[in-house]
Amino acid sequence: MSTSPAATAIPEQRATRDARHDRLFAGLLKACALIVLASLLGAAFATLWGGREAFGTFGWHFLANSAWDPGNQDYGALVPVYGTLATSFIALLIAVPVSFGIALYLSEVAPRWLRTPVASAIELLAGIPSIIYGMWGLFIFAPFFAEHIKPWLTNYLGNNPDDGHPSWVAAHVPFVGKMFASDYPFGASILTAGIVLAVMIIPFISSVMREVFQTVPTRLKESAYALGSSTWEVVWDIVLPYTRSAVIGGIFLGLGRALGETMAVTFVLGNAMELSSSLLDPGASIASTIANQFSEAVGLQKSALMALAFLLFVVTFIVLLIARMMLRRLASREGR
Amino acid sequence: MTSPALALAPSMAPPAAEPKLKVRDLHFHYDGFHALKGIGMDVPEKQVTAIIGPSGCGKSTLLRVFNRIYAIYPKLKASGSIELDGENILDPRYSLNRLRSKVGMVFQKPVPFPMTIFENVAYGIRHHERLSKADMEARVELALRGGALWDEVKDKLKQNALGLSGGQQQRLCIARAIALKPEVLLLDEPTSALDPIATGRIEQLIEELKSQFTIVIVTHNMQQAARVSDQTAFMYLGELIEFDNTEKIFTKPGKKQTEDYITGRFG
Repeated sequence: MSTSPAATAIPEQRATRDARHDRLFAGLLKACALIVLASLLGAAFATLWGGREAFGTFGWHFLANSAWDPGNQDYGALVPVYGTLATSFIALLIAVPVSFGIALYLSEVAPRWLRTPVASAIELLAGIPSIIYGMWGLFIFAPFFAEHIKPWLTNYLGNNPDDGHPSWVAAHVPFVGKMFASDYPFGASILTAGIVLAVMIIPFISSVMREVFQTVPTRLKESAYALGSSTWEVVWDIVLPYTRSAVIGGIFLGLGRALGETMAVTFVLGNAMELSSSLLDPGASIASTIANQFSEAVGLQKSALMALAFLLFVVTFIVLLIARMMLRRLASREGR
Repeated sequence: MTSPALALAPSMAPPAAEPKLKVRDLHFHYDGFHALKGIGMDVPEKQVTAIIGPSGCGKSTLLRVFNRIYAIYPKLKASGSIELDGENILDPRYSLNRLRSKVGMVFQKPVPFPMTIFENVAYGIRHHERLSKADMEARVELALRGGALWDEVKDKLKQNALGLSGGQQQRLCIARAIALKPEVLLLDEPTSALDPIATGRIEQLIEELKSQFTIVIVTHNMQQAARVSDQTAFMYLGELIEFDNTEKIFTKPGKKQTEDYITGRFG
């Protein structure tokens, strides 16, 4: 800019204006980002504040107390916390191997023309609203479960079979008999909720797994094949170790979703505030308890629900934190 | 060696030594694209055979047929025959596991597995042999010595192989391939991702290895072909244009195309 004296004034003006606009723009972006942080902290603080009465009344005992008795104003988080963790754990137990199989099939084995349609179908499944899974669970799966699966489980694994004698498994393996014993005649149970949750998180986990399996360099797989490895050996020895952290990250993201899932679980969990050792008995999760009781809760009960919400916050936060740390480990390894 | 020599189409005139690989009328199709058009050549035993040619001429494709690594992808098809010691390796009955224990391969970019240095070498051996711990250790040491890497890594065998430099990683890949005691070693542009010093070490290593292995190297670097190989094949558009002693190819090429390639681009 050295052509004429008149021409220099405009660029200078412009420079000042641009600087001002950039500052404004940066401030705006910062505000957007701060909203996220503010709502996170706000939600955490609001639940903690709302639950202060329950925490203050029961102290640490709140976590270990299995009672939930509005008549006596006695509340404990043990049943819903156990229900949340148990249903999520069952969901993972089922979803992880199945997702692993789906992802491997799609990334390593399936013919090319089949990969994209199936992958899109999985993504569509992940987008189905949870209320639909809940209705399917309540009207179709739970009756089917009560009719066909539950009798088989109590008969062959539980300790209250048809003929009055404990099953062989119940007699020989500790705990299993109790886990599969139930007099409750309906399909709603912790196991049912776990299975429905598994169906819900399988698309989630398998699409993450499929994506990370595709990041394994072709040349790495080819080198293994060139040494005489079979497809299974390539998957187990090369693909899985290479993607380990991201796979675990994906599993934890699925777990995070299972922990907080409300609608579907509320439909099929049975909502019984009783601690039972059987997976076939109804139970309650944190989210389902809140969803069921919030409308009529007042006073200490409302505060106890808030305290539950805070606990769910803490559990989910821990799970996502672990996932984030694992993903970061993967990133740093790739950036070597 | 038992070789009931099948008299098929005449091959390009090479060398005096007994051929290790006999390629006859080899065609290769990539999902409709005719990538190799009737290749015939005899690869001599325990010599270095270089394959040169412009990008897309089919040199890497040819190499990838020698151990049937292409078979992991659908829609790729090879026809014709390649005899390894008289047996046609393109025959579906020739087991891939057996073929890959006899024909090792090293790729363009160094690809150590995500495991320790020791495990990288031991991994392939375990697919083919069951060795005691002591035997395995001896075998890994032998392979690493063969790959001219032992002195650099002997104190850190338990470390992750990804910590090695690029040149070291590539020598590890060579060690991993020769650990299976193959008869043929395929090198697919093994130095294209390496700096000149690392390249020099690999070339020196190739020189040392040729007393034990039949080596086929694909390279885009003509000086490299001239330096390391005994025979050179020039390919163009899926056809084998000329195959002769390296010295002859680079001094008195028989075909105009060969001469153009050698002089025109890199002369």
